[in-house]
Amino acid sequence: MSRLEAKKPSLCKSEPLTSERVRATLCVLKGILTSSYGPSGRLKQVHSGFGGCVCTTSQSSALLSNLPVTHPILKILTTSMQNHVSCFRDCGLFTAILCCNLIENVQRTGLTPTTVTKLNQHLLSLCTSYLKSESCGCRILVDFSSPQTLLCLVRSIVTSKPACMLTREERDHLSALILRAFLLTIPENTKDRLILGNSIIVPLKGQRVLDSSVLPGILIEMSEIQLMKILPIKKSEAFKVALFCASLSGDFSDTGEGTMVVTYGVSLENAVLEQLLSLGRQLVSDHVDLVVCQKVIHPSLKQFLSMHRVIAIDRVGVALMEPLSKVTGTQPIGSIGSISPSSYGSVKDLCPAKFGFKHFLHLIPYEATICSLLLCNRNDTAWDELKTCNEPESILKDDGCTQTELQLSTEAFCSALESVAGSLEHDGGEVLTDMKYGHFWSAHAEAPSIVNWPDLLSRCGCGLYNSQEELHWSFLKSTRHPFVPQTYLPHEATGSADNLTLDCFTAKLSGLQVAVETANLILDLSYVIEDKN
Amino acid sequence: MTDGEQDSLASKHMQTHRRHWKNCCRWKLISQFLLTFQTHRLDYIVDHYLSRHFGSIFSSSTKERTLCRSSLESLLAAYFGGRVGRNNRDFMSRLTCDYFFKCMARERGSEEVLDLVDDYFVELSVGVTGLPVSDSRITPGLVLPRDFSVYRPADGDIRIVIVTETVQPLFSTSGSEFILRSEAQFQTSRFWIMERTKAIMKHLQSQNVKLLLSSVKQPDSVIYYSGLAGISVVECLSPEEVSLIRRITGLSPLALPHASSQDEICNTVLVKFCKPLTFRSKRYVHLGVISTSSFIPHCVVLCGPVQGLVEQHRDALHGAFKMLRQLLKDLDLNYLIQTSDQNHTSSPLVYNESDPLPEVVNGSIQRPRQDTVLRNKSKPAKTQTYSDLVVPSVELETCIIPCSAPKVTPTGTYQTDETLRCFSPTKTRINGDNEPFIESNSANSTENTRREISYENLQITKIPGKGNLLPVREKTLEICAAQGHCFSTIPAGCVLPVGGNFEILLHYYLLHYAKKCQQSEETMVSMIIANALLGVPKILYKSKKGNCSFPQIYVRTLHALQTHQPMVSSQTGLESVAGKYQLLTSVLQCLTKILTIDLVINIKRQPQEIYDQDSEEEV
Repeated sequence: MSRLEAKKPSLCKSEPLTSERVRATLCVLKGILTSSYGPSGRLKQVHSGFGGCVCTTSQSSALLSNLPVTHPILKILTTSMQNHVSCFRDCGLFTAILCCNLIENVQRTGLTPTTVTKLNQHLLSLCTSYLKSESCGCRILVDFSSPQTLLCLVRSIVTSKPACMLTREERDHLSALILRAFLLTIPENTKDRLILGNSIIVPLKGQRVLDSSVLPGILIEMSEIQLMKILPIKKSEAFKVALFCASLSGDFSDTGEGTMVVTYGVSLENAVLEQLLSLGRQLVSDHVDLVVCQKVIHPSLKQFLSMHRVIAIDRVGVALMEPLSKVTGTQPIGSIGSISPSSYGSVKDLCPAKFGFKHFLHLIPYEATICSLLLCNRNDTAWDELKTCNEPESILKDDGCTQTELQLSTEAFCSALESVAGSLEHDGGEVLTDMKYGHFWSAHAEAPSIVNWPDLLSRCGCGLYNSQEELHWSFLKSTRHPFVPQTYLPHEATGSADNLTLDCFTAKLSGLQVAVETANLILDLSYVIEDKN
Repeated sequence: MTDGEQDSLASKHMQTHRRHWKNCCRWKLISQFLLTFQTHRLDYIVDHYLSRHFGSIFSSSTKERTLCRSSLESLLAAYFGGRVGRNNRDFMSRLTCDYFFKCMARERGSEEVLDLVDDYFVELSVGVTGLPVSDSRITPGLVLPRDFSVYRPADGDIRIVIVTETVQPLFSTSGSEFILRSEAQFQTSRFWIMERTKAIMKHLQSQNVKLLLSSVKQPDSVIYYSGLAGISVVECLSPEEVSLIRRITGLSPLALPHASSQDEICNTVLVKFCKPLTFRSKRYVHLGVISTSSFIPHCVVLCGPVQGLVEQHRDALHGAFKMLRQLLKDLDLNYLIQTSDQNHTSSPLVYNESDPLPEVVNGSIQRPRQDTVLRNKSKPAKTQTYSDLVVPSVELETCIIPCSAPKVTPTGTYQTDETLRCFSPTKTRINGDNEPFIESNSANSTENTRREISYENLQITKIPGKGNLLPVREKTLEICAAQGHCFSTIPAGCVLPVGGNFEILLHYYLLHYAKKCQQSEETMVSMIIANALLGVPKILYKSKKGNCSFPQIYVRTLHALQTHQPMVSSQTGLESVAGKYQLLTSVLQCLTKILTIDLVINIKRQPQEIYDQDSEEEV
């Protein structure tokens, strides 16, 4: 029984930010986000009373998508962060925390939204122009000839996801794998425009993390019986491949809008099958070794092909079509009529492979930008956490160094950025900054108040500097004289530090902009009108 | 309840009813006055008094009518002020301005550009979420929100075709019947279809076609064969996209039955480039179409952290172009001129409906009055038809009014109307019934004109068979047509500074008019509108204090008007006069309608769609 209810009037609230409820929720959200931030962030377990999956995470994307947010203002915030994360896959928490901080701090100052938005806009432009400028000290250009910086970047990202429950060894292994997968997607002989290939992530659950691996080419999953059927594979120099996107099942759909009258006794099925078989004959005479079809292959055709020692694989799905066509260098064939010989492709080798309980046919290309990343993990949640991928161009030093520096170069930017930096320390320790480079240092909580700092601090947050140099420290939240952070010279880095913590520059920059813009947007709201229907 | 009480109640009811009825009658009367005032007087007031304050977004420095960028920017800034968030206001107005100027090939074509942008704004804008608003930009060419079905990189001479049906021939078209007699026939038919598809693609290839745009989904085989022929394919274009491309390039869809013949295909056009484009992992088709019109194709990419914000910006941008489109069109004014035969040296026309019709001057034939009325009704939206009838030399004469007037430009970004009017010697004339000989010796020094304008003696030549022509603007007519219709315009591009200027000015002149009015109802209606108008700036300056409070602003403006000094605006933005005026007339019409309603019947509407299972079972 359905009944149409009378419409409820819309709810209108003025000055939404002043309401106690919003403030409280914002504060809770901020608490959740800040405690999850950074490599030493705490995990959150999200589970619904109605059942379903339990999610253990410290990732912004997982957190924000799982947290039920009802208030429109917080919805803006979370949606904005999710959009950012779906764009860059990085710096989600940074953006969210910064945004929360800005809103909170502005409320505390009691300035009018007009002034604040203008100020924020101006400060943001200062920050971005500094970050984009040549003199920016937080930027490290990635040297693609040496994998060290890239590896640092990947490792930072993997490390910042503690829910993956990785040991140090596993972490290093995975970082190296991810980097290898990324490097494999870079074409060897690039022309004027770089077109990256892609790496396909193949999930394998219930295996050891250290069993994860990267393979060039494509893995097509199939059942053991199917695999047995096509074995043994005859060896040859190269395997000629025909890739079909048209259905080979003998269906007949494109008859047009008019009617079609079939005289009694004429069997269309036979006619179509005859055509399919003649296609099969052409394939055999063209010495095709492997036929891959996106859709279904007619059983008779399949049998015909296997009789002639041609491997036939069907139902690979649309998602694999593009990588397949790249790997084999073919164009998907959309016709069952005549096939141009130019549309055949080739692979170097074909071999059956077994990983865990799954069977695969491995297509090994000559030279292609496609690779498969086999990701193994013990359980689902941890596996979900692992799906991270990145395309860095220019990298930003991380772990607070940037934030502290930014905060110093734009003294007035509330203490929002400072707080973000501060939230990296979770073990109750003190956060310090040095007066030379403006980097971030973390100290243990139980340290006595008067100590020789260099003895206590060994490396700054990003690992670029160590305490052996003549440095002076100050607490992050204390007052200090403004100074210009020294620009750091790139060649020092690779030599001295092998364990840097890095962030993707483009993601961070965009995150910074998105955070300020979203905060401005929220601060500018003076009414919330909600349609409760 | 006693009888007495009942009686008193009944009489009370009667009384209220009678009172209500009386009120309704009065309202109806007022509404009629309002309507007459709006149709016959308001245009006159705008044309005669208000127009002298108008500025223009066209710059006066050149002979050509060129858009002044800074004026346009302040116009747009004021427009976006009410539509987008505070922090994106300037950015959006700059973006809009950039877009407009980038799309415009030459100054003359601004109207064409605006029409096109307004009509196809959805196709000309791309929304991207997840990026900061400041990443929004303008890209040359067209961006289609879909991926290539097949992409073949191409250089050099890239030609495109549009098809609106499947390239591959079908067994039967709608309404026809395909009779299949044998399996062989079926196979040969299929073979023929394949061969034909292949042949069409080969032929397209030979004509240098590198891209096939299709409004329908093409079969796999078409994609396959076009790929073999080195032709990229984009499918499922919306009808709007197809019509946009057709409008820009003049390309018409390919007629397929003739496509494989050996003749050259004429339905192709060149494009500059054709390549895939990626915004945050979503793929688009980027097409460098070459325009044949004055519109240079550009797309605006709108970024924002959330979808809602992108939509808001998109709507605001679209609205801005709609506003500009209206602004760059002339708005026709049309009013009745009735003058008394007295000379008014110190004031503009005084209207008196009770005045008897003046005698026919010069003994010409007087046409029946109905004619005029009809004429007025059937007056087309464009006055172009009239201008054809007009001898231009007369108009030119009116334009060469020497204006030694000081510039009244408070912001300095727009200039006053005289210069503008000189460039747009348009459609200002009286089309009267009579054909009197008129010698308009307007040696007038009106107290309302704050400039010294010395008018030359205007000799209006007689045009045989046609009504007399008079330049009406900016002058008081002493001897006038007995009764005439005056057609005038608010010229394209007229602007006023924002901040209640329009309202205060119109308020001032309406009061001025009311004072001169001899009819009490006209006075009343004029006062009503004048006071209502003042409500708008009152709200605008509500939160302001001190020197910027409403009374201060009001007094200052009045003083400036009375002493003929330039008005000083506290804000820098500009707004379209035509748009504002049209809004005012709409409001008045709405009001007249509301006032004539005498009873509101309230019906409690039952919720529709009630499904009751029990009742269904009963049935």
